[in-house]
Amino acid sequence: MRRLAIAACVGATVAGCARETPPSRAIAQTLAALPWDSVVARARGTTVLWRMWRGDQAINAYVDGWVSRELKQRYDITLHAVDGQGAELVNTLVTEREAGQAAGTASLMWINGETFSQMRREKLLSGPWANRLPNARYVDSASMIIMRDFEQNPEGFESPWGTVQFALIYDTVRTPNPPRTVADLATWIRAHPGRFTHDQGFTGVTFLKSLMYARAGGVGQFQNGFDSVRYAAGRDSVFAWLRSTTPSFWRKGDTYPPDVAAMHRLFANGEIDFTMSNNQSEVATKIRLGVLPPTARALLLQDGTIANAHYVGIPFNAPNAAGALVIANFLLSSDAQVEKAKPDVWADGTVLDRARLPEEWRARFAAIELSAHALPIDSLRKYARPEVAPMYHERLQADWRATIRRGTP
Amino acid sequence: MRSRDGVGYVAVALVVAPVVAGGLYSAAASFGLAGAGATGFSVARISAVLTDPSTWRSVMWTLCIAGTATIIATVAAMLVGVRVQGSRVGQWLATASLAVPHIAASLAALTLLGQSGLLSRLAFAAGLTSQPADFPAMVYDRRGVALIVAFAWKEFPFLVLTAVAVLATRNAHLTEVAHTHGADARAVMRRITMPLLWRGIAPAVIAAFAYLIGQYEMAVVLAPSDPLPLSVLTYERAVDSNLAHRGEAHVLGFLALLLTGALVLWHERSRRVAERTLL
Repeated sequence: MRRLAIAACVGATVAGCARETPPSRAIAQTLAALPWDSVVARARGTTVLWRMWRGDQAINAYVDGWVSRELKQRYDITLHAVDGQGAELVNTLVTEREAGQAAGTASLMWINGETFSQMRREKLLSGPWANRLPNARYVDSASMIIMRDFEQNPEGFESPWGTVQFALIYDTVRTPNPPRTVADLATWIRAHPGRFTHDQGFTGVTFLKSLMYARAGGVGQFQNGFDSVRYAAGRDSVFAWLRSTTPSFWRKGDTYPPDVAAMHRLFANGEIDFTMSNNQSEVATKIRLGVLPPTARALLLQDGTIANAHYVGIPFNAPNAAGALVIANFLLSSDAQVEKAKPDVWADGTVLDRARLPEEWRARFAAIELSAHALPIDSLRKYARPEVAPMYHERLQADWRATIRRGTP
Repeated sequence: MRSRDGVGYVAVALVVAPVVAGGLYSAAASFGLAGAGATGFSVARISAVLTDPSTWRSVMWTLCIAGTATIIATVAAMLVGVRVQGSRVGQWLATASLAVPHIAASLAALTLLGQSGLLSRLAFAAGLTSQPADFPAMVYDRRGVALIVAFAWKEFPFLVLTAVAVLATRNAHLTEVAHTHGADARAVMRRITMPLLWRGIAPAVIAAFAYLIGQYEMAVVLAPSDPLPLSVLTYERAVDSNLAHRGEAHVLGFLALLLTGALVLWHERSRRVAERTLL
């Protein structure tokens, strides 16, 4: 009897943990067509599980602290942000679909680029709903960085949340005159053996992709879908650049740091002179957290650096689509976007068109740009280059792993 | 008796069923019948893994690193085990690191052995090096020094614990008889204690070796980018940006299962042969 009771308790606990409170199983696109007040009413008092990348303290603090608190106060929504990113999200949703569950576990996901592409291909996203959010009217619809996710039209299947731009990070004391073009970077690397590398993950491949644009004479060579001939020429050019520089890389290019966190550590400990980030403002948050030295600064190569937007999506099996819609709309509010853009919070770029905002909000956004570590917005715009079709990223990553990483000719 | 058998069967089923279910799912995914990127029955994923040289480089590297760490941990555990068997303080000291999580141990190895780690800073302070790159590369290196050290350090207390348990149950008569026949302490250690300890500890050694073949948390923090440890290669395939490659992670999982299964079978066979020889 006691064993039965224990089994029952364990069973109940597992069942309780596995699900969030579903107010209804209505799908996002159906709900988005309803009057907004009724969506908010359905979301009130519910819980939303949000799967997102949890690798940055500043982002976690913003989501778990400010966003979570505001959602509770304004809508009585309880937010649970849990780990899950990119490829893992796709695998999880495919497994849930194969298991035949009517309702999945998460209602909101942080996605972009190839994850969005894979989810659309595998029909794992609800939509269209994003354009029906009340705050969608403030989104900068003229920006191709926001309105095209790696050249894909979001078509209302994901709602923009923020923008970032790739930047190198250097130390103004150690490297007072950093290289400012791809050609100068190669010269600098050869003159300073063992002081430069890139990581094996998404950021490293973004760096390689920006080299590919620069060496081919611009992003225009790779726009309008994947072209295998142009890709092969671009890849060969990047690999030629790498073969001439990797002998002077950190550890002679025999090994590469697993991720940007490892890069930041090597940079902070003086093993290398450059680290990198997909977010031009990460340097500010990392200085505040003590990860990077106070003299670290972001650097944009004048050949152009890749800018992209990140989004939130709602899975096809979201148990609480109403709650997810309310959160997606709240994330687009001026309050949430200004808070997120503060250098002492996350320093993430906004997706809103300031011209459409009330004057007082515009002033608050303008004040943020005056931060000591922030790059001037004019420079960011001038050197921003859009993402191209996800296949370029996939192929470049695979080919780099098979040749350069393995040290094969 | 019968109801006890029933409980036993239920317990075994509870343990085995999830493994079998997972194995079946993995088999389906290996043949392109399930999982992300499934396109219908195909042996493409299996042939891609088996014909990719990086698979075999990864397997060989993983076996070498896990094997070296297991040998170091085993020798150290046997030598320490016989010395701390009567001492509670000694046993506590030798097994204290058992409670340290693997990820914490790998971060400790990084902080200690990295080119900008504590040892490197000591070398710099002593004037032996002038920059981090002068210190020998032990982290992210192809020789896997930091990974071997971290693996051995984490397996050592587990094997000491097993060694102490084995020594506590040995037959004291054997030692007495040996002494009666004029064997000195060294001969007893070499001819009786160590062989008995080895036979008792061998299943734990095999378990530790099998565990290290699949160990991920420490490998991902300390291993080089080439060759990749089998566990890291498997994860890289599981989250490959090309969905068509994700099924290969399941094939690699089976490969790890085959390796560890072969180890267990080899151990069982050796044990049976040894027992038959003794009889």
